[in-house]
Amino acid sequence: MSLSQPAAPATDSPGFLDKAWQRLKSWEGMLLAVLLIVVVFNAVNTPSYLTFGNWVNLFQLYIEKIIIALIMTFIIINGEIDLSVASIMALSAALMAFLHEKEVAFPLAVLIGLLAGLVCGLFNGFWIAFVGLPSLVVTLATLIAYRGLALVLVQDRSIGNFPVWFSNLGQKPLVGGLPFALILFIAGVALAIVILQYSGFGRSVYVIGNNKDVARYSGVNVRGVKMWLFIASGFIAGLAGILYAAHLGAMRGSTADGFELDIITMVLLGGVSIFGGTGSLWGVLLSILIILNLRNGMGLANISGEIQKGFVGVLLILSVLAPNIFGRVQESYNRRRRLSAAETAEA
Amino acid sequence: MTQSPPRSPRDGPIFELRGVSKSFPGVQALSDVSFFLNPGEVHALIGENGAGKSTLIKIMTGIYAPDQGEILLDGQPVQIRNSMEAQTLGIAAIYQEPMVFPDLNVAENIFISHADRGPVVRWGRMYKDAREILDRLDVKLDVRQPARGLTLAAQQAVEIAKAISLDVRVLIMDEPTASLSAHEVAQLFRIVNNLRNQGVAILFIGHRLEEVFQIADRVTVLRDGRWISSAPRADVTTEQVIREMVGRQIDDFFAKTETNRGELLASVRGLTRDGVFSDMNFDVYKGEVLGFAGLVGARRTDVGLALFGINPATSGEIVYEDKSVNIQSPEQAMRLGIAYVTEDRRQLGLVLPMSVVVNVTLPTLPRYLNRLGLVKRSQEAATARTYQEKLSIRTPSLNGEVGKLSGGNQQKVVLSKWLNMEPKLLILDEPTRGIDVRTKAEVHHIINDLAAQGLAIILISSDLPEVLAMSDRVIVMREGRQMGIFPRDEATQETIMTTAMGQVGTANGAGLNGQPATEGGSADSEVPL
Repeated sequence: MSLSQPAAPATDSPGFLDKAWQRLKSWEGMLLAVLLIVVVFNAVNTPSYLTFGNWVNLFQLYIEKIIIALIMTFIIINGEIDLSVASIMALSAALMAFLHEKEVAFPLAVLIGLLAGLVCGLFNGFWIAFVGLPSLVVTLATLIAYRGLALVLVQDRSIGNFPVWFSNLGQKPLVGGLPFALILFIAGVALAIVILQYSGFGRSVYVIGNNKDVARYSGVNVRGVKMWLFIASGFIAGLAGILYAAHLGAMRGSTADGFELDIITMVLLGGVSIFGGTGSLWGVLLSILIILNLRNGMGLANISGEIQKGFVGVLLILSVLAPNIFGRVQESYNRRRRLSAAETAEA
Repeated sequence: MTQSPPRSPRDGPIFELRGVSKSFPGVQALSDVSFFLNPGEVHALIGENGAGKSTLIKIMTGIYAPDQGEILLDGQPVQIRNSMEAQTLGIAAIYQEPMVFPDLNVAENIFISHADRGPVVRWGRMYKDAREILDRLDVKLDVRQPARGLTLAAQQAVEIAKAISLDVRVLIMDEPTASLSAHEVAQLFRIVNNLRNQGVAILFIGHRLEEVFQIADRVTVLRDGRWISSAPRADVTTEQVIREMVGRQIDDFFAKTETNRGELLASVRGLTRDGVFSDMNFDVYKGEVLGFAGLVGARRTDVGLALFGINPATSGEIVYEDKSVNIQSPEQAMRLGIAYVTEDRRQLGLVLPMSVVVNVTLPTLPRYLNRLGLVKRSQEAATARTYQEKLSIRTPSLNGEVGKLSGGNQQKVVLSKWLNMEPKLLILDEPTRGIDVRTKAEVHHIINDLAAQGLAIILISSDLPEVLAMSDRVIVMREGRQMGIFPRDEATQETIMTTAMGQVGTANGAGLNGQPATEGGSADSEVPL
């Protein structure tokens, strides 16, 4: 091609300080600042806070939720939502416990429980990706249905008596003082960051979340991506459900009730837009750390659970408001600058 | 062009535009347009795509404010600041697709804008009044019937009744017959005649000249946003009107250089998508630009979308590289080497909040993945830089949001993303719409170069001089049908426009009847915004 003059060279090399400042101004930067404040505040107030044991504890308390928050980040960035995760947790655990009670070999019961999660995700994905129903409606329906199935299986009983190795897996440290689920979470974070932020699949997740139609018109396999996400979400929720049963040493029909809302809160607070397309796992990771440390700190300071919940709620509202307020302040600042520029020009 | 239309008759026009101009960034949509409407007169407004008809309607209904000029109602200057004010002044518009509320009944739809009748709905009175209005129009409809089940023609009647309930004095009808069958057109015209007899001034916009000549008392032609002529129907012929419509200047157009036609790439036989277009027959050769001309609603875009697999054809055959193919998805089309540059780059062409790099490599992303499926970012960036230089994309940074670039540069990013696929058949849908003159010339250069390299190009464009200058052959479509193929030396503005307006054959919307404009269909707006 013989085209006209070359374009101006790209000028995207701001100084290091500029870059650092840009980062800090971003959502992640703000979360990092908030996290530091919380950590310093906790450390000053409670001596036992900065111990290894407390930090393991702090993760262990929410471990199932934060594992699911990782896949939920993918789903919300993709422009969808999965409300059924907590019900899948219950169903997988219920199926496992039910089979265990019926004296099926325990490893097989675990495997079938995991598989059930996968099938639940497949079912969600089919309606969303192939039939084209909104995920909000589909997963709201399956939230009810899967929970119902779990209740059918265990009724109002509490099933426990799991093998000792299983309960230990959920409660005792496995390697270097870390419990199994926490090791799983750390590995999961690394894997999720690589996939979402650096892989071709992750790129598709963002593109579809920003504009499905452009993705389709560009030959991106929109259905395939959505299908995989919901299958993964179902499987991971099932896994988390089984971990939760091990963690508690027993399960009942109401296990994990309402967890989906805490999970979605973590993701949204991490700067992921509920409309899809923007946000990152870095932000979600920071928001998880903020919520865990905040609740841990308040717990150590003997603040009641109800007040802790209220606090997280306020935080979420602020997190939704903040970008709007920033945007408006910025806009009015710009407008004022333009106006004064115009005045100078006139004068 | 500054000569004004003949002065008004003695009783004076009801509505008048004097020297109205309106421009949008990069486009002078209307310049110095003057004309008037008399009471009890059907006044037809005709012009090519982009002649300024839509802008004119939007000024009359208060959606746009004119940059210059006056609007007079009963000889008094008025300002129409929004559609509510237009309504108060007695100006109403109805469109090709009626805007009724499907779940409300006929009477409720007619009185939807009456908010002044107190807190309680007096149903009896509403039904009685609705019946009276419909009687005045000589329309037989059950006023309690929900609008959902009505035919398009009946829905239009409801819209007209709605206008009458607001004491309309000036009624604008924007291509009201485009989706109607011949029988429904006759019904509509009976209503129009009734309105005319009741002293309403009607501005009728239509693409079918035979209908325009059947209903209009006077005919005004617009071209390139300028007033060309106004004359009583009896004093003009269709040939004359067409000549006036197309007399555009072919200014600064890059004419395609002659290239040797390469071998046959694809043969399309009897291609049909039910209810959208039918029986398309054409061949596509390497190194050839095949133009698609037609008016708004000709369904050219839908043919492109069928070839690209977005809205697949329902019958007919495509032979591509000597093999019969049944294209069902964009992925499949892309594997065959077919690329489609959409007419709607903001909604369908680019992920606006993402970077130039991401957009350029979107269709070809699998090429930029390593064995683990991770994106090779430096290679991606290198590709984007190559196209930045080749097509001179002006952007401060390749990592910046593509949505912040100018329209012309955005269009170059869309072109880059498809050229990088190294397609064999490139479908360009309105590739120069809404971009500045300079970029437009650059795009024409690109098209020419690509054809010289042996690419087969389908160029869908509503810009008639562009199609004529750039194409080796031109297919003319009208309402979903192929009206003819013209070799370069036979394609003149007059022949194309005469064919596009269907001077042979008549309104037969049978296949289209009741079909709303489909997604991604040819909902061409006339002014790039």
